Amino acid sequence: MDPKLAEVSQLFERFKAACAREDVDTCCNVLSKLKVLLTGFSSLPPLFEDTPNAIHELTLARDIYEHAVLLSVKIGDQDAFERDFFQLKPYYTDASSSRLPPSSQEYMILGLNLLRLLVQNRIAEFHTELELLSSTALENPCIKHAVELEQSFMEGAYNRVLSAKQTVPCKTYDYFMDLLAKTVRDEIAGCSEKAYGYLSVSDARQMLLFSSDNELLQYIKEEQPEWEIKTGQVIFQKAKESASCKEIPSLQLINQTLSYARELERIV
Amino acid sequence: MTQDVEMKEVPAPSNSTASSSPSTFHHLKEIASLIETGAYAREVRRIVRAVRLTMALRRKLKAQVLSAFLNFALTPGSEPHNRLASYLPKEDEHEMEVDTATSVTQTPVKHPLPELEIYCYLLVLIYLIDQKKYNEAKACSSASVARLKNLNRRTVDVLASRLYFYYSLSYELTGDLAEIRGNLLALHRIATLRHDELGQETLLNLLLRNYLHYNLYDQAEKLRSKAPRFEAHSNQQFCRYLFYLGKIRTIQLEYTDAKESLLQAARKAPVAALGFRVQCNKWAIIVRLLLGEIPERTVFMQKGMENALRPYFELTNAVRIGDLELFKSVAEKFSTTFSSDRTHNLIVRLRHNVIRTGLRNISISYSRISLADVAKKLRLDSANPVTDAESIVAKAIRDGAIDATLDRANGWMVSKETGDIYSTNEPQIAFNSRIAFCLNMHNEAVRALRFPPNSHKEKESAEKRRERQQQEQELAKHIAEEDDDEF
Repeated sequence: MDPKLAEVSQLFERFKAACAREDVDTCCNVLSKLKVLLTGFSSLPPLFEDTPNAIHELTLARDIYEHAVLLSVKIGDQDAFERDFFQLKPYYTDASSSRLPPSSQEYMILGLNLLRLLVQNRIAEFHTELELLSSTALENPCIKHAVELEQSFMEGAYNRVLSAKQTVPCKTYDYFMDLLAKTVRDEIAGCSEKAYGYLSVSDARQMLLFSSDNELLQYIKEEQPEWEIKTGQVIFQKAKESASCKEIPSLQLINQTLSYARELERIV
Repeated sequence: MTQDVEMKEVPAPSNSTASSSPSTFHHLKEIASLIETGAYAREVRRIVRAVRLTMALRRKLKAQVLSAFLNFALTPGSEPHNRLASYLPKEDEHEMEVDTATSVTQTPVKHPLPELEIYCYLLVLIYLIDQKKYNEAKACSSASVARLKNLNRRTVDVLASRLYFYYSLSYELTGDLAEIRGNLLALHRIATLRHDELGQETLLNLLLRNYLHYNLYDQAEKLRSKAPRFEAHSNQQFCRYLFYLGKIRTIQLEYTDAKESLLQAARKAPVAALGFRVQCNKWAIIVRLLLGEIPERTVFMQKGMENALRPYFELTNAVRIGDLELFKSVAEKFSTTFSSDRTHNLIVRLRHNVIRTGLRNISISYSRISLADVAKKLRLDSANPVTDAESIVAKAIRDGAIDATLDRANGWMVSKETGDIYSTNEPQIAFNSRIAFCLNMHNEAVRALRFPPNSHKEKESAEKRRERQQQEQELAKHIAEEDDDEF
């Protein structure tokens, strides 16, 4: 076997061992070394040269990046996730169609990426990524979970989102689900503010998923200073009745009429 | 060059072909002369006209006519001629129909213009595609593109852009679009360097089409945002560009922009382009549904489009009523149509709109309704519909879709009174947007009046020359005096 390849494989084994031991620092160090070594192979993207060991190298590189992605989830580094995922993507789209056998973790990682986009509220990119998936991919439970989550989020059925936390297809999703819970809480607070005139403290606590009244009070103090708490009820600030509806917005009307006059004059 | 004329006594049944092919050949020769004059005078518009006339002749092209034309336009035995003739099916020599009358009077072409050569490539390519010989079309178009890289004349640009289009089409029909992406990008670079605006437009559209074919919306948007933009030269290319732009915007959830682009594309498209308009309308309908407005019935009843738009009509019905069950059944019933139109993902997004519309109907009709009833009316199929309904209503209120408040203690939704809208500024704002639109359209129409470029320079001198010649003749005829040059 090619000596470079052998070296990389050995290092990769050490990396996997460190991951199993949950030794994050060693993992990161070994990973950077692996990435540097990978640049030595010319069969990888973006060159995609056809060397004799191409398939082996491609598979190995793909495995390394998959582990890198999972590591970034473990340490909670979203930027690293994004970087590693972008490097992994060509292996799924370009290389797989021609030469490599499909990876077992492909769908899980694609689902993770969708979830990440959802958590970061990048819905446009979420949908763009969704377009790239084939119909077989959409049937896969990991991806289906993310898609349904997005739907419930859009519709506003937040309790469904929170209950979906119990039904994650794989454990690695937990990190993002926790982040999602926080986003959901902010959303629920926003909606309740507009929808309800007031809520009893116990109801508010239940809806916002706090385990005690104190947490609720602290949350209100920090995040929502406009809410008042009176006699066991949380009163949301009603929209200020604007008395200005009696006024005529003169500036706006003047601007509009002037523009009409100008345009009409232009008509020869 | 003289041409060996072989006339065969044709039997009666093929008399009709004998009468039509001479006229087609005649037309082709006219077009060729038009191209020549255009090339010599550097007037691009004549070449545009030539291309337009060719399109009219498209159905009548036959192999014999093409061989005859190739013999006429290019010297037989020369390299381009051999290459092109090899793509045409070999006909028996003695069946070549050539009009004796015209063959005697035809003027030989001294040396083939590059325009003429490219024009021949174009003809052969169109013929091959119409005959469904896609592999040969691929080969022919690749050869023509290679030839085009060496030419740098503005008069060839019009023909070149058509050739690029058929190049991409031949690869698309054989399913190999990804192969030519690199080539198209290189061609686009070259066109930009040469300031070939029509070529740039065409190639940008072809590239967008290429990316969208493989659902690579991200890359398409990156290209589109960075590519240089200018006033559209060709209406058809502009329509295509608007359509692709609309598609990209729809996927990126920018529905207002998407609706504008798609509706504009549908409106500007020529009436004959039925398939294109049907596609534009399909996407426009979905975008309007996603925006929350219901398209009118007349949209679906446009001439020639009723059958194609039927699934979308039923979908609109389901959304309008706000019934989730009906929506689901319609989506399943027409799922094959939607998948082939690639609108399936968008339809999935519509579920949210169905619920919204249903909620809106309920909020308007009831002044107060319990949440359990709301859940029942919306037919939300989930574990605990009441809590779902509560959160959905809360979100709808926050988004401004309905005007109501929730009362958690009693578990009901109270709708607010809708005040008298005419006493507010709403009508003025609505009128203002419409007025601004009409004025904008007027301005654009004025700007779109096109005058031929350099006309004020050329025409003057040509006119003045003609005038002068006329005056000279008159002077010579009536007054036997010397001409004095006017200027």
